[in-house]
Amino acid sequence: MSRWIVRAAAAICAAGYVFVYASGRTGPPIRSDGFSYYVYLPSWFIYHDTSLAAVAQDCCGGQFPDFTAIIRWPGTRRWVNAHPIGVAIMQTPFFLVAHALTRWSNLSADGFTFYYQHAAGVAGLAWIIAGLWVLRRLLLRHFPDTIVAATLAAVLFGTNLLHYATYDSSYSHPYSFFLFAAFLDLTERWHHQPAWRTSLLLGLVGGLIVLVRHTNALFLVFFPLYGVTSAATMRVTVARLRRHWQLVAAAVASVVITVAPQLALYHQATGRSIVSSYGEFGFNFLAPQLWGVLFSVQKGVFFWSPILLLAVAGLAMTRGAARGFLLPAALFLTVNTYLIASWFDWQFGGSFGHRGFVDALPVFAIGLASLFSRAASSPAARAAVISVCAVLIALSVFQMLQYWNGVLPFSDTTWPQYRAAFLRLK
Amino acid sequence: MTRRRPMAIAVAILACAAALAYLRDPPWLLSMTSGLREERREPAGKTVRTMAGHASFFVPTDAASVEIPLRGVFESEKDWPITVTIAIDDRPADRLTLTDGSWRVSTLRLPPPSGRRVRRIDIRADRTRSDQRAVEVGEWKSIRP
Repeated sequence: MSRWIVRAAAAICAAGYVFVYASGRTGPPIRSDGFSYYVYLPSWFIYHDTSLAAVAQDCCGGQFPDFTAIIRWPGTRRWVNAHPIGVAIMQTPFFLVAHALTRWSNLSADGFTFYYQHAAGVAGLAWIIAGLWVLRRLLLRHFPDTIVAATLAAVLFGTNLLHYATYDSSYSHPYSFFLFAAFLDLTERWHHQPAWRTSLLLGLVGGLIVLVRHTNALFLVFFPLYGVTSAATMRVTVARLRRHWQLVAAAVASVVITVAPQLALYHQATGRSIVSSYGEFGFNFLAPQLWGVLFSVQKGVFFWSPILLLAVAGLAMTRGAARGFLLPAALFLTVNTYLIASWFDWQFGGSFGHRGFVDALPVFAIGLASLFSRAASSPAARAAVISVCAVLIALSVFQMLQYWNGVLPFSDTTWPQYRAAFLRLK
Repeated sequence: MTRRRPMAIAVAILACAAALAYLRDPPWLLSMTSGLREERREPAGKTVRTMAGHASFFVPTDAASVEIPLRGVFESEKDWPITVTIAIDDRPADRLTLTDGSWRVSTLRLPPPSGRRVRRIDIRADRTRSDQRAVEVGEWKSIRP
């Protein structure tokens, strides 16, 4: 059944994607943050230039548009992109197909014409489906097939994941969603059967996690903390890591090798390998907007995706081997929420729901599956959970359509605006 | 199962070949543009589209020539000039230096018809002004022999 759900998800996401662009709901896929994540590809493959200067000249007459997060570094005057290279690396296969098709059809091979645009859009969609597939494999090790199917459906349709598979698929979140699911899967496999292949893959995925979004390096705590549920299990985990130190070293080396090209790019542009690529913008750790990030009508993650409240409750109910994820999940979700709430723009600009939490949906999925699993043992609880989830999924999909129609604002939604727009499609 | 798989692969290869044959020279290319903003109509009735650094569009391959009206976007005299280069199917065809806000027309003689239905015209500007505006492109005209 869960296999069927992933296939249906792929078909529905593809239909949603076609609808968004065929109906003109939004501009071409390479826009806003999607531009900055993608711009490396034409620069590397078409202009054979790692400085971004040639693509800036061709696309934009020498100056990147103000909406991009690409700035001239003070001192060197070279371009520094706030958005790192991970998304571009994961878009590469799609880009190369688009480039070949563009040449074949005699469109302008500048990196921004029709096929390039939709390669960037379809890549995000494809990585979300791949993420669902990996998440399914992970969950099936702990939960029955029907529970996994319900969890995948709830995560895709009950949160803003569907929106980031379709309307805003060129952003970084589809890529992080896949990588987080893969990292959880590989972490568990490594701890049950440490092996060279798993170690190298863990390093590659861990490195890509850092390359897609630097602050997501925090997610790597899942590897050393997986399975720790008490002092005794912590000693067991430490002993395992020490016993297999060569594999751990291989994973760390794999992370370093994967991240190295980004450091080289920073060095080329600024003269330093470690930089704050956002320039003057940054965190305000003394005034985190925790209420706003979690519950506000503006962008609160539980306001716009209330099904995730069930996931948090479910995480606390996790039993069996899945409890191995509990400590790193609690640590990651807490610190990540604090980081998001401390960012100078805690709403993360325009988005449907709070996009900062899309990356972590594989973690929430473990909680949802635990809750569904517990509810399945009692007919009354099962009926209640099914009813609540059905309503929350319907609400989430409806509100996503409102956002697509421009009924809900991109950011700074107020309570009067929300009330006036409630259940209104136009 | 074992007989179905080669059949499915053969069907997929045929479908890909058919799609590639169609995409080699699709009729909808004529209506496709890139790098040009939405059309707007000037008080004098002229239809204008603004471009940033690079724009492209297609003209029928059987046209003898094409006329492209161009006007630089200038905010002050220090913005002058803007150099515009035009290429036909990636071959350089014209180069204009726009030094004031008046319209200039680039007339390009097209090469003899090729195997394709359309030719691609690329316009590149050497710099942009605020809000990513460089050059305004008027309605281009394809002139048949």
